[in-house]
Amino acid sequence: MESFFTRYRNLLVLLAILLAQIIGLAVQVHRTDSGRNSVDPQDVAGVRLIRLWADEAVTPPERLFHASEQGTVNLWQYYLDLRGVRDQNRDLQKTIDRLRLEQASLLEDARQGQRLQVLMDFQQKYVYKTLAAQAIGSSGSDSSRVFYIDKGADYKLERDMAVITPDGIVGKVREVFPHSAQVLAINDQTSGAGVILETTRIRGILRGNAAGRPQIVGILPDQRIQPGERVITAGGDQIFPRGLPVGVVLGVTPDPDRDSFIDVIVKPAAHLDSLDEVLVITSTEPRFPVEQQQDMATSEALKGAEADAIKAQKKASEIMAERLPGLTEPHPTTTTPASGQTPGNAQPGPDQATPATAAEPQIPKLLHPQHPDRFTPGATSLPSQNEKTQAPASVKSKPAPKSGAKPGPSVNPAPAHSGRNPQP
Amino acid sequence: MNILGADYRRDLGIRHYPVLIYALTPLAALVLQALLPYLLHGYAWFDLPLVVTIYFALVRRDPIQGTLMGAGLGIFEDALTHHAIGANGIAKTVAGFLAGSVGGRIDVENHTIRLTITFLLSLLSGAIYVFIYRILLGLDLQWSWFAELMKAVGTSLIALVLYPLLDRTEIRD
Repeated sequence: MESFFTRYRNLLVLLAILLAQIIGLAVQVHRTDSGRNSVDPQDVAGVRLIRLWADEAVTPPERLFHASEQGTVNLWQYYLDLRGVRDQNRDLQKTIDRLRLEQASLLEDARQGQRLQVLMDFQQKYVYKTLAAQAIGSSGSDSSRVFYIDKGADYKLERDMAVITPDGIVGKVREVFPHSAQVLAINDQTSGAGVILETTRIRGILRGNAAGRPQIVGILPDQRIQPGERVITAGGDQIFPRGLPVGVVLGVTPDPDRDSFIDVIVKPAAHLDSLDEVLVITSTEPRFPVEQQQDMATSEALKGAEADAIKAQKKASEIMAERLPGLTEPHPTTTTPASGQTPGNAQPGPDQATPATAAEPQIPKLLHPQHPDRFTPGATSLPSQNEKTQAPASVKSKPAPKSGAKPGPSVNPAPAHSGRNPQP
Repeated sequence: MNILGADYRRDLGIRHYPVLIYALTPLAALVLQALLPYLLHGYAWFDLPLVVTIYFALVRRDPIQGTLMGAGLGIFEDALTHHAIGANGIAKTVAGFLAGSVGGRIDVENHTIRLTITFLLSLLSGAIYVFIYRILLGLDLQWSWFAELMKAVGTSLIALVLYPLLDRTEIRD
């Protein structure tokens, strides 16, 4: 037995180490709901410890390198490269005198320009709270597009914070260490950012390909997608705020995995290969200048006072309405003497129904006809007969003419409605 | 083929280096592997930890030492990425083991042989990495032969410069 272990010692050590690493890999990989394997984004404690050790081993030399690089540059700029400074100083003094004169005339223009600049940069200045950080290293592998920044948990950085530059988005914080953080760039194969094409409003997910070039994957073919179109963040991924520049469309290629889809190759707006200073969005809470905050507080206070005033005014009007007599009588009279009409003849409006009339049953009343005839209800004879019967009475009522003319039965009084004078 | 003869192999000795070289060279390789791609604007077509692993495994002629160094450097290299820790470790473990095994059978003083072994093991390491990631773990990983080939070439070029420098640090009687 001893000879077996001695003879195959090398192989046994190799197999033991390989087996340990395979088990370690199996712990880190899990199957997703979609049936595909994935590395758990939240590292287990042991894996996180190894990453922390690696970071602690690599980050200090990287910091030292950057510090010495900056120190060397400063040493050269401030001490060694000072030849001819006296002559340069004299020339600069003359230039200063001249510029002071120009400054007075340009001051007003500068103020105006600053005001315009404030207006233009308003959106950028008020929206987010950011933290400047220095990129200090990379993963060292072209299959892992991550880099390290010199700010970590000591600056309250957290996972999934967006990392941007003034040119465009860069990535998101993937791992936070005590004094550094690991940032997953948008051109990594495992990254994902919700983006939208600015003109065509087509949405998609941005991730990197094998060559480290970001592309929007899983898009249906669309003729409107043209090179040069701007790509911005869609804001639906809960990481990148909406509207940040991402890049421009370079071209379209068929999706190698799915036949009916295309990939849109994007040229990133940020220089991902030469990152130096980056900004970490630490809060998406609105950040207003002090003056604007004071204005907003004043506005809120005024708004509250105005609302109270309106409320008080409304309450007073209600009290007045209760105390003053109403414009409509609560119990209207049943007759209108002016018109002489009975309640039955009155024509109330649709909303003028009084309680009395509403309570009693409505009895239909016939209107008086303007020209009654024999068919008119209540009429006993023909109109001609009425005229005949009424004519003597009218004649009788008339005084006899003094001229001696005999009143004869041929005298027919003109109808009352004719309006014509009777012929003598 | 005198270099493969048994008498020749017996004459070969195991090299010794200062402890600081053993400690600092792998660490420097890790730091430079993380720093140089940043300074070279993203170009990472080389593998310094693999160069160091192969070198020490070759000159020490010890498969176990090559295995351990390859595993350690590979795991640390994995830890600097966001990938699963172990894929690079397994690849470099195998590379270190093979380099240590081959080191006892060939003339490791010959630069051409060392560079050829470095080139081949770099390709093998890349292939093992892709195999583990795509086949064993079933994860999505796009890769290209061209990139792996260029990485092997870059690694060999660095070895061309680094091996003679490390040879100078050897403790001689």
